[in-house]
Amino acid sequence: MAEPVQRLFGDERMNDRQPFHVFGIRHLSPAGAYHLRAFLAEKKPTAVLVEGPGDASEYISQLVARNVVPPVALLAYTDQLPVRTLLYPYAVYSPEYQAFLWSEQNGVHAEFIDLPSDISLSLYEMRREGLNGSSNNDPGNEDENDIDNDSVHNANNGEEEVLPAGGDIRSYARRQHDLYEQIAALAGESDYESYWERYFEHETGGETYREAIHHYSAQMREMTEQHEWELAPAEAAYNEIREAYMRRRINEVLDAGHDPDKVVVVTGAHHVSALRADLPSMSDAQLANLPRSATKITLMPYSYYKLSTQSGYGAGNHAPAYYELFWRCLQRNELNKLSSLYLTHVVTHMRKHGTYRSTASVIEGVRLAEALASLHNGRFPTWKDLRDAVMISLGNGELSTVAEALARTDIGTVIGSLPDGVSQTPVQDDLKRELKRLKLEKYKSVVATDLALDLRENHRVKSDNAAFLDLNRSVLLHRLELMGISFARKQRSRQDSATWAEQWVLQWTPEAEIQTVESTLKGETVELAAAFVLHEKLLECTSIVEASQIIRIACDCDLSSIMEEARMTLQRLAVDVGNFSEIATSAYELSVLIQYGSIRLIETGTLIPLLQQLFLRGALLLVDTALCSEEAAKNNISAINALHTIAQEHFEVVDDQLWRQKLEELSSRDDRNARMSGYAFAILLERNEVSENQCAQEVSRRLSPGIPADLGAGWFEGLALRNRYALLSRIFLWKQLDEYIHSLEHDQFQRSLVFLRRAFSTFEPREKASIAELMGDLWGSGALETGELLQQPLSEEEKEKIDELNDFDFGDL
Amino acid sequence: MTRDNDQNVLRLPSEKLYSEELEALKKTDKDPKPAGWQLSPKAVLTYITGGKAGDKEITPKYIGNKRLVEIAIATLLTDRALLLIGEPGTAKSWLSENLTAAIHGDSSKVIQGTAGTTEEQIRYSWNYAMLLAQGPSDQALIKSPIFRAMETGGIARFEEISRCASEVQDALISILSEKTVSIPELGLEVPAARGFSIIATANTRDRGVNEMSAALKRRFNIIVLPAPADIETEIDIVRKRVSEISANYALTASMPEDEVVRKVVTIFRELRSGMTMDGKEKVKPTSSVISTAEAISLLTGSMALAASFGSGTIQEEDIAAGLQGAIVKDEEKDRLVWKEYLDNVMKKRGSSWRSLYNACSEMNG
Repeated sequence: MAEPVQRLFGDERMNDRQPFHVFGIRHLSPAGAYHLRAFLAEKKPTAVLVEGPGDASEYISQLVARNVVPPVALLAYTDQLPVRTLLYPYAVYSPEYQAFLWSEQNGVHAEFIDLPSDISLSLYEMRREGLNGSSNNDPGNEDENDIDNDSVHNANNGEEEVLPAGGDIRSYARRQHDLYEQIAALAGESDYESYWERYFEHETGGETYREAIHHYSAQMREMTEQHEWELAPAEAAYNEIREAYMRRRINEVLDAGHDPDKVVVVTGAHHVSALRADLPSMSDAQLANLPRSATKITLMPYSYYKLSTQSGYGAGNHAPAYYELFWRCLQRNELNKLSSLYLTHVVTHMRKHGTYRSTASVIEGVRLAEALASLHNGRFPTWKDLRDAVMISLGNGELSTVAEALARTDIGTVIGSLPDGVSQTPVQDDLKRELKRLKLEKYKSVVATDLALDLRENHRVKSDNAAFLDLNRSVLLHRLELMGISFARKQRSRQDSATWAEQWVLQWTPEAEIQTVESTLKGETVELAAAFVLHEKLLECTSIVEASQIIRIACDCDLSSIMEEARMTLQRLAVDVGNFSEIATSAYELSVLIQYGSIRLIETGTLIPLLQQLFLRGALLLVDTALCSEEAAKNNISAINALHTIAQEHFEVVDDQLWRQKLEELSSRDDRNARMSGYAFAILLERNEVSENQCAQEVSRRLSPGIPADLGAGWFEGLALRNRYALLSRIFLWKQLDEYIHSLEHDQFQRSLVFLRRAFSTFEPREKASIAELMGDLWGSGALETGELLQQPLSEEEKEKIDELNDFDFGDL
Repeated sequence: MTRDNDQNVLRLPSEKLYSEELEALKKTDKDPKPAGWQLSPKAVLTYITGGKAGDKEITPKYIGNKRLVEIAIATLLTDRALLLIGEPGTAKSWLSENLTAAIHGDSSKVIQGTAGTTEEQIRYSWNYAMLLAQGPSDQALIKSPIFRAMETGGIARFEEISRCASEVQDALISILSEKTVSIPELGLEVPAARGFSIIATANTRDRGVNEMSAALKRRFNIIVLPAPADIETEIDIVRKRVSEISANYALTASMPEDEVVRKVVTIFRELRSGMTMDGKEKVKPTSSVISTAEAISLLTGSMALAASFGSGTIQEEDIAAGLQGAIVKDEEKDRLVWKEYLDNVMKKRGSSWRSLYNACSEMNG
């Protein structure tokens, strides 16, 4: 057994003085589970008490029900905002899970004895607040190596949030971390996980294991406790409260008449030395003093992938599938076969994916792993030894060759499952009802299926429900999408105009089940949860573009209350916004909603004043905005386009008159961006606001000799961005362009060529042909001939000339 | 036939150079020794990565990833031979020599792989005069280093194995799987004694290397030796080797200052990784590999320059000449890369780099 541990303890056997038995574990430890089962079988207790939320005891029977496939997790969450959660994931090799299984199989009373979730979550909240103003800890560091940790989740983002900590708690965490690393280094291991596996997981003697882990933790605790009180008093106090409560619960069980010798307490090894009969337990008054906030508890399926990405919950988390293999080997008493099983798994996967490796390589790999273990005086290779052996013998020294096979073997794709009726969360129930109501149950399969929806009212059916079946389906799918439940994916519609058609791909995965359970934190029903998510988004949103998108989502999800809220947010934000293109974008979103809202049976009338407001502001900003660079002009032109579309489609509600005035102003200003002015003029031309005369006058003014080439040609470029037929039909315009180009000096000509080339690059061949013909007419050289001449491919000489342009120094352009 | 006067030898083999350390390890080694090994695997690990043997300080021979050394030693405990591959100058040969010295006590059984290496050099050949005079006999047999290692249960080294023609490499296949050499002329089968193994080294990125056959690769455990992971490690390596080499060659110049070593290693690392140390700026990497080994020879070269023609302490000019040679070699392309690096990175480094910059740009022209 491990030398470092043997050195640690004296002959004090605190547990032997105890009236009841305590079995210290590391969470998610196969050896712990194995020895615990043996211990239970030997002691034959009448009560098994397990560290875990005291108010979750009723779920134990569900946890061990038939058809429950681990990994599963026990989730406790506050039902008030902000939602806080406690998560207890159990794999098949979790000692706690095995303790419950044993109790179930032997008809023995089992219960959780840690603080009820309503208290621990409140205390968690208090610790958070107590440490206000300090930055968050790095999640990896604090928890990674701790023998006992409950991971606390923040429901809002689903990510693990470690208790925020001040500088002190940080330095405490760093100390702890360094301490673990030092232990590993003393034992000659490269990291703590390897140390733990070699010296604890590989220990096959049950009694030795139990004593080693007890002494190890007791010494560890003795060494660090003082520092914890100094540096992280809140954590230490919390721990004290938990242990006092656990002692209270143990006493209650003893008082209920269980023979102390027939009581086994299963707890994180860290607590073992504190669960002594001679220490005071929590009094009624103390208990009543603890803060509470209402919580709910549920079971949910879990996956090895999630387990492996979660830091802070003890051993086994990096490679759950490996530890399951470990557990299976332990159960059959053949841990010596683990290496060959592991390598065989890897090589099988590699072969399946086309990389052949011989059995001889596997044999050599196993030998290498065993040789590595023997270098460390180990009896069996550790996970790291096995991985290195795989890399060397199967990967020819390179990790990349075997990385995927390793991931499959270490983490795997296992997802737990719960049978129907086991602790459904309200939102799961609701989703089930909704799917049934909307006749979507048959899509709940692992095979991806297409679903085409027609949102229009179906006039051939009688009931309202049937008439709007597809619309309701769309609403539900949009809501699920919003909640991040990966059940339905919306396909891009091929037809932009068909606003009533939607294409979806539906596929049910266990991951979606997990996501559904997780969204329980957001609301009791799908509708409430979706509204909650959108509400959160709205709170975070800072730009009017986001806000208008939220309005649109709210419309898709039929959440009118949020829509109203978002409308108010948008309005509030809009007051301060001076960005022309943002205003145009969000106004356009609104206009689309107003136009097509009816198909979703949504009242969009309230949006109209907002649209008017945004439009007005956009119109007023137009001329100022046009004082911009070439790059900004591109965005601004699409914004003008958006606003103009609104002006056309909602002429009865928006101030079209003002818009026209502003366009006129812009088109006549010489000090604004030439391209935008040209574009504004093009719109006016298209709307027939400009007479032939005016047009001729303006064109000749813009393209008169002496106007710098970038301005003249830039203006023409803007003009050519819209309705080319309006241009092509005005011969005088081309005449003036022709004259203008003739009037340019050589240098100026080269400059203008750049703009003109860009302007004409978007013309279609047909349009180019008609320009060529036009020019032919103008030059009197005959429309057809000139057209043909101009359409010919460039000769070498001409190409060279154009290539010369590449070296042209554009200076300030 | 080695001469006894070790003092006058230019480069001592590892087992001589570190003989005191090996003796100390042998004395304190309590762990079981595998057949044919003179030290236990743990003691070998201590010898390579440094530590203590009783009171004797064991200097680290290979600085860097300890785990790779563990894997290398573990490999030699198994049926497979060991193949160290990596870019030029990643201490492959150095590690192979020291492993052999520690395990077997004799690192001289070496085959140097070249395009001209023949199968006879791997197996055995004949003293033709004797062969003609007496016919095949034990006396006429010239045993290859591998042959001798098999007889004694030792370790043979095969340097630059990938430079041999593939057919020649494949002569190893039967040796590694059957663990015997047969001499049909004498009607003999010579089995390998326990402890026999081969440590081969090969280059990954170089011209004129031959791909190894899959059948041969399968008989090796391949370990890829990386360039040093961080700058401190690399500086340690460079400083240690420079002091050892300068002692061997009795260079009278004083050791380069830490600042100089740091500068050289920084330049090398930046050009190798294609990015400045702070990761903020991209740098064009050179077309040829510039290894830690080159940083070492650059500094010893500069010491020699300073001792013979200079003031005895390394000047910026000495370093600049070395850098020019190590980085540009004969590639016109690299001269531009170097110039770009000088102007874009080094020039902006401030006053402490100024004189080196001036010296380098003068040299680069």
